[in-house]
Amino acid sequence: MRSRGFGSFAAGALVAGAVLWSFATTDVELSRLLSAGPRIADFLGRMVPPDPTVMNEIVKGSAETLRIAILGSLGAVLLSVPLGILASETMVSPALYRPVRTLLAFIRAIPLILVAMLMVGAVGLGPLPGIIAVAFHATGMLAKFYAEAIDGVSRAPIAALESAGAGSLAQLRYAIWPQMAPVVARDTIFRFELNLRESLILGIVGAGGIGFYIQTYVRSFQYDKAASVTLAVIAMVIAIEAINVALRRRFA
Amino acid sequence: MSAAAQIGDLSFVHQGAGLPALDHVSLLVPAGESTALLGPSGAGKTTLLAVLDGRLRGWRGRVSVLGAPLHPDQAPPRGSRPDVGFVFQEFALVERATVLRNVLNGRLGRMSPLRAALGSPLPYDLEVARAALADCGIADLAERRVDSLSGGQRQRVAIARCLAQEPRLILADEPVSNLDPARAAEILTLLTGVARARGATVLFSSHQPDLARRFADRIVGMRDGRIAFDVAVGDLSDVAITDLYRETTALQVIGLRAVT
Repeated sequence: MRSRGFGSFAAGALVAGAVLWSFATTDVELSRLLSAGPRIADFLGRMVPPDPTVMNEIVKGSAETLRIAILGSLGAVLLSVPLGILASETMVSPALYRPVRTLLAFIRAIPLILVAMLMVGAVGLGPLPGIIAVAFHATGMLAKFYAEAIDGVSRAPIAALESAGAGSLAQLRYAIWPQMAPVVARDTIFRFELNLRESLILGIVGAGGIGFYIQTYVRSFQYDKAASVTLAVIAMVIAIEAINVALRRRFA
Repeated sequence: MSAAAQIGDLSFVHQGAGLPALDHVSLLVPAGESTALLGPSGAGKTTLLAVLDGRLRGWRGRVSVLGAPLHPDQAPPRGSRPDVGFVFQEFALVERATVLRNVLNGRLGRMSPLRAALGSPLPYDLEVARAALADCGIADLAERRVDSLSGGQRQRVAIARCLAQEPRLILADEPVSNLDPARAAEILTLLTGVARARGATVLFSSHQPDLARRFADRIVGMRDGRIAFDVAVGDLSDVAITDLYRETTALQVIGLRAVT
């Protein structure tokens, strides 16, 4: 009981210390926070009404974001098929799948926006660095999902087809793939949704897509135009979500 | 009496296991009859059936199935595999596929490898599959997905898949142990009935003496990887069954059985 009491006290002190430290070393003054109210109201006021004349930019930017997500997802799928096999416990030896899984965890740990910034530095502005960044970042998750889809296949139907005299290609087509296909389809669609969401902001670091316009309009104080683009982004996210929910029901 | 399978001095040790799963087993499975492998869990029934099905490597001894010797370290030739059908305890069906697709999977070994992997079934394959479905009383379930079926229905699909192979020997590993007693009797009636109608031999394992007595012509008792008895069903005594299921003694558990 004593040690447990001490443990709670120590945890409480740690949290309190962290909060105080953050206040003390950040420029957060109560007066500034209170005076910010009118300024935020002013800022929001300048966003309404949203400027509808930027429709062309919205369509152009959304189309580019969509293209980045599609090509980035395609790249991720192409990378994830071999890497997923190499990360599978049932297909390769531990000496191979352990380092591959570590590599995938490492890739997942790097935020997309960071990869995008590095790629802009490497290949220049535009959608190309965005596509490369999405393909790289998404592979960390998708290859792991594919490996799990492979490892989740039940052995029994494969043994049954082997017993019936089916060759290995026929086993793949009629026993292995039918078990994997819905999982692979569901995971790929899920990752595509994430790719589309995450590519919306890539333009902020110059990696193409609709984010470019948000950054441009905010920096040039055209808040009514920025508001239109923001509304378009929100609408896209909701649409993606709705489509994904409908698709997921199909693969249940 | 001709034999569907002949086993001489067969031994097998599972990887990492100390005691052999099969310990110098010799057995003759008469053709055209139903034989039950009876015995407690761990007696070696599943291992014996897997050897006969050509799915286990690394055994020692002599095994011949339907007149052809099996090689201990090589899979049987593909062309001979459909002759031996197998019904699994856990059904081993592709859950998301239709009943008909699962039954057609039993035809894959009768097709050319290219057609099996890339093509579609021939009219004759469909005809055989439909006949198997009808024999198993599930013609109306053909287009249903397996994951929507009950346990008894699933085992009927598995038997239909086995029949679609047109097997001469049907091996069944605990085919009814996942089913309730009424369903179990139905499935064994079906299995032994269709086999008799087609002139095929049946070898099924069970841990339930009453089912073995009711559905087999011959009963082979197995215990600790050895054959305890091998008798016609009329000659089976209650004493033999009681002895088959006696408690394992402490000495046997620590492995002194091999000495006795």
